[in-house]
Amino acid sequence: MKESFSLAGDDELVKASLDGDKLAFSEIVNRYRKMVARTVKGMLGDSVYSEDIGQEVFVNLYNSLPGFRGEAKLSTYIQRIAINLTLNEIKRRKRFFSMFSHKGSDEMSEYEIADPENEEKREAKEVVNKALMSLNPKFRIIVAMRLLQGYSTKETAEILDLPLGTVLSRLSRAQEQLKGILEKL
Amino acid sequence: MKSPEIKKLIRDSLDGKSDAGNIPGSLELAGVSYDFSEGFNEKIMRRLSGASLTIVRDTEFKRSLNYAFYRIALTGAAAIIILMISIFIMQDSFSFNSFLGLGDSYDESIVYLLTGN
Repeated sequence: MKESFSLAGDDELVKASLDGDKLAFSEIVNRYRKMVARTVKGMLGDSVYSEDIGQEVFVNLYNSLPGFRGEAKLSTYIQRIAINLTLNEIKRRKRFFSMFSHKGSDEMSEYEIADPENEEKREAKEVVNKALMSLNPKFRIIVAMRLLQGYSTKETAEILDLPLGTVLSRLSRAQEQLKGILEKL
Repeated sequence: MKSPEIKKLIRDSLDGKSDAGNIPGSLELAGVSYDFSEGFNEKIMRRLSGASLTIVRDTEFKRSLNYAFYRIALTGAAAIIILMISIFIMQDSFSFNSFLGLGDSYDESIVYLLTGN
């Protein structure tokens, strides 16, 4: 068994994880936890629910590794799991709130700043979070992919399994939605 | 980074034609970074250890059961063959046809062969 996998490639890590090497899987978690955090927390806000979804993403990844054929990059594969689980959570919240409240899921967009380093940084994070949370989840995921992950529109379309035209039109609609919101912030 | 600059970054990310590749870096510099809490990796590994231990135990049990069944089935089949051969030899009627159950053996002779009466 290899002592450290920090220099290993993704393929090697997947293979070793499939052979039952826990260190290798731990390295995958370490390598992609920030990426998953950007997607999950960008979509759900910075709350304890996001931590749970983050854990679910990696547990799901572990369970589905035997089916991973390596056709897509590991990061894309993880990103898809993260997006699916996050969207499921948003749907679940919507159902829950439509049953018990008339206020809608926006109530859940409350978030807490875990690490308020200084006023400027706190403000920056607040602006980004508020802007993202004000968007419809359909548009939010696309903006999060661009803003927080830096994906091109083509990559975004690929990861979300959407036609490029749909991504572009949703971006333009998000632009319209955000126009007024950003002015108020 | 001041709030207007952050807003500009958000607007830039909405422009489908522009390259968004450097936006996350700029945001991170401005303090907009996301990560899970400390001990996140450990929590996942703990959850996975529980799951994989169950899977390993389950697999080991199935493997042992298969092995035991295989041994019992083989021993049983061998015992039946030996018994058949010994009966045929005792009755002095051993032939290829009788071994395969072909030919004209009547019900009475089978009862006789099995019970000895």
